[in-house]
Amino acid sequence: MEEVFPRVVFYIAGIPVRNTVVSTWITMAVIIGAAWLAQRRAPALVEMLIDFLRSTIGDVMGGIDPDPFVPFLGSLIIFLLLANNIGVVPMVHTPTKDINAPAALAIVVFLAVYVFGVRQKGFLGYLKELLTPMLVLDLIGDVSRTVSMSLRLFGNIIATEIVVAVIYRLVKPIAPLTMVVLGMVTGVLQAYIFMVLATSAISSAVQPRNSK
Amino acid sequence: MWELDPGTLVTLVTIVVAGIAMVAGAITPAIVEGRAVLRALEGMVRQPEIAGDLRNTLIVSLALLETTAIYVLLVILILLFANPLLERFFPVG
Repeated sequence: MEEVFPRVVFYIAGIPVRNTVVSTWITMAVIIGAAWLAQRRAPALVEMLIDFLRSTIGDVMGGIDPDPFVPFLGSLIIFLLLANNIGVVPMVHTPTKDINAPAALAIVVFLAVYVFGVRQKGFLGYLKELLTPMLVLDLIGDVSRTVSMSLRLFGNIIATEIVVAVIYRLVKPIAPLTMVVLGMVTGVLQAYIFMVLATSAISSAVQPRNSK
Repeated sequence: MWELDPGTLVTLVTIVVAGIAMVAGAITPAIVEGRAVLRALEGMVRQPEIAGDLRNTLIVSLALLETTAIYVLLVILILLFANPLLERFFPVG
């Protein structure tokens, strides 16, 4: 049971490094390596992937041109797809079972909403749209969306991990595998959900608000 | 009656509350999700041409509804594994 929760493995200059951080580095290395390899050996595959991401994000965004947002949202979902499922490799811990990883991603999305809004409408234009009587409510909504996004991802991942650990304790050999497979389905679904929520938040920031 | 020391009492109450809360937190989203799936299926049968759109919306909204159960689970996990009340009786370190 104790191995479910992240723990500190070593220190770099007094900063504690948890085992989930180490597996985040592994995830990043795998993604960078796969991207480098795919770009050299199979460019058609990369094009297919990007076309797929562009059409998925375009579907969620509605009428908005998704091209400026595909790099950010696409790398978000690629990282989450791998990070949620890398726990099936022995000795590697799922990075997102540490609350800090989903929280960091959600904070990045929180900032990206404002960055994209400013980039799309200009600083003064976006400021003029923000400064309405609804400013406080908007801010509360943004903060609670950030909290709920991070807690949703974290809760789903840690729930699967705990269920697997409990079943492993009861029945050793094969029974936990069923929950592992279910956990992989959950991981893929939660990665998609995270991206859809980020997409809808960004699209509500960049679309013209004073149309009505 | 029994003489329970405070630590045991808090542990006992925590376990009972965790069970009750998980039951309540699992039933409510399940009922609401069933209703959502029912309506989505009715819509799919009535208008098969928008079935793909409905399916995407259904998946996203199901995950959002599932979140309430996840929140309950998180609260229970905090109660069971990092109970702030228990640390008052069994100081850590």
